[in-house]
Amino acid sequence: MPFLKIEKVTKVYEANGASPVVRVLSDVDVEIEEAEFVCLMGPSGSGKSTLLTIVGAMNHPTEGRVLVDDIDIYSLSDERRADFRREYLGFVFQQHHLMPYLNALENAMLPLATAEMNTREKRDRAANALARVGLNGKALRLPNQLSGGEQGRLAIARAIINEPPLILADEPTGSLDTKTGAEIMEVFLNLNAQGQTVFMVTHNAENSALAHRIINIVDGRIG
Amino acid sequence: MRISTLAFANLRRRKGKAVFLIIGIAIGIGTGVALLSLSTSIKEEIGSQLDRFGANIVVVPQSNSLSLDYGGLSVSSVSFDVKQLRTEDAASVLQIPYANRISNISPKLLGAVRVEGREVLLAGVDFDSELVLKRWWQVAGKKPENDQQVLVGYEAARALSLIEPTSSTQPPHVSHGGSHQHDENQFQFKIVRNHLTIADQDHEIAGVISQTGGPEDQMIFGSLGHVQRLLNKPGQLSLIEVSALCKDCPIGDIVSQISEQIPHAKVSAIQQSVRARSETVGRLTRFSAAVSAVVLVIGALMIFTTMTGSVIERTKEIGVLRAIGFRRAHIIKGLLIEVSVIGLLGGLLGWGVGLLASWMALPYFSETRIPFELKPVLGIVAMAAGLIIGSISSFYPIVRASRLDPSEAVRYV
Repeated sequence: MPFLKIEKVTKVYEANGASPVVRVLSDVDVEIEEAEFVCLMGPSGSGKSTLLTIVGAMNHPTEGRVLVDDIDIYSLSDERRADFRREYLGFVFQQHHLMPYLNALENAMLPLATAEMNTREKRDRAANALARVGLNGKALRLPNQLSGGEQGRLAIARAIINEPPLILADEPTGSLDTKTGAEIMEVFLNLNAQGQTVFMVTHNAENSALAHRIINIVDGRIG
Repeated sequence: MRISTLAFANLRRRKGKAVFLIIGIAIGIGTGVALLSLSTSIKEEIGSQLDRFGANIVVVPQSNSLSLDYGGLSVSSVSFDVKQLRTEDAASVLQIPYANRISNISPKLLGAVRVEGREVLLAGVDFDSELVLKRWWQVAGKKPENDQQVLVGYEAARALSLIEPTSSTQPPHVSHGGSHQHDENQFQFKIVRNHLTIADQDHEIAGVISQTGGPEDQMIFGSLGHVQRLLNKPGQLSLIEVSALCKDCPIGDIVSQISEQIPHAKVSAIQQSVRARSETVGRLTRFSAAVSAVVLVIGALMIFTTMTGSVIERTKEIGVLRAIGFRRAHIIKGLLIEVSVIGLLGGLLGWGVGLLASWMALPYFSETRIPFELKPVLGIVAMAAGLIIGSISSFYPIVRASRLDPSEAVRYV
């Protein structure tokens, strides 16, 4: 039984004013095993990010279903799906999307804000997440006091604080230089080595070469 | 870290906007508080002045009488089983539980007397209380100071040839003092006689009451005890006029209490006076409420637009929070905490500013200098109002924020 199963997923954006109907994904079938590192590659506009947000329980597919750990995520209510995102997924955005007014420790701790847990435990877990991505000693820095690579690491720390079984990453090295990008990839590889499943969208062939498997997508279809 | 930590961090981050919103709510609440405080003080003053301006309760002997008139022709009424009012009854009015609301008691004895061949209505009054009650009287002369001095109504004075018309350029004939004494040049008459024979006794004319259009024009007023002796009705009264300070207007309760105190009397509220007071005060209240409502609506619209702008500005942030597992309820809770803090602080500031403004403005609207009062209950109401206005006006933007599609929101730039 695959850990992540994408079954016949189609996504169509309905016509809106002058915008015509757009078919972004067509009958996408993907299966990923637990602790696998898979890269999704494809040209711009091929539907990579859309597929990632669908797997990320944020974007309802027009057809088909997505099963994570045998849970049909779009059969869940909106609020249960939010819980699912918190408990099962760690999402790393291309632009990192850090909160500029929170320091690194607080940014890493953000997914725990709604958790019934005492503050000391939250802080310990955040400090541990920062240590895992190599940000020891930078807990009190604001995001704008961190380099691009450190911001990327902080975004990963936030994604892993809940120890999610599945990490989704949308071009996490896209805005970074080669050296920093390689450092970030190193972090993902370490996490994967510790048993976390990684599903990453990337343009970078060097990065994708480090994955267990590469899936290509062109015009919304798996190639 | 909790949701409240995020909310407070956001407030600190957007200090300028938070202060702007707090000031906006404070202006709305402050205007309401100031208008409410002002109108309450002015209402009390107007009420007190109206209450002092004439009686609003009249006490007469209880009798089973039938009014006999037909087509404007009045026939003597048939009275039987009349229970007399006594001088002690006037004093007993002050023994009712609402005695502190009684501002004036004016006992009277009325009787017809022959004055130089004419029948004239003679009223025995306590001049101290009567002249306070009849503030609109303009007396050419002075207040009577002894039993032999009287005040004469305009028509009675004219009929008894006590006065003569005069032009404004002519100086008046008399020069008296007294609390109701007015600039003598304003009277269109001059007093030509200083003495009058009433019931075969010589009386000095202390003053003539300028024309009022009321029953007093036809009357002569003497001191109560003296008139009781003249009419041979010692200790008796015809009526007692009572002026009650009608704050919160328990006029019905005051009437009931006087009725219980003087069971042999018929006590009635003068409805016209009560209605006029309540209409005046009511208009003032409605005006204040309308102005406050308009200001609060403007404040609420300002919060609505600012909160809507704030939500749009934070679309990406809210999308990220949703993407990492915040429920809609968590987003709503966070934004509500922010709005509540703003609303409470706005209400608190508005309360302080409103009280201060009303205290500073009151001398321009009122003759009474009212001491500064903190009114903590009003403070609680103001904070609650700030909370409610903040919550209601940001309800739509907050719900809209919670419904943001996280996948769209994180792509938002």
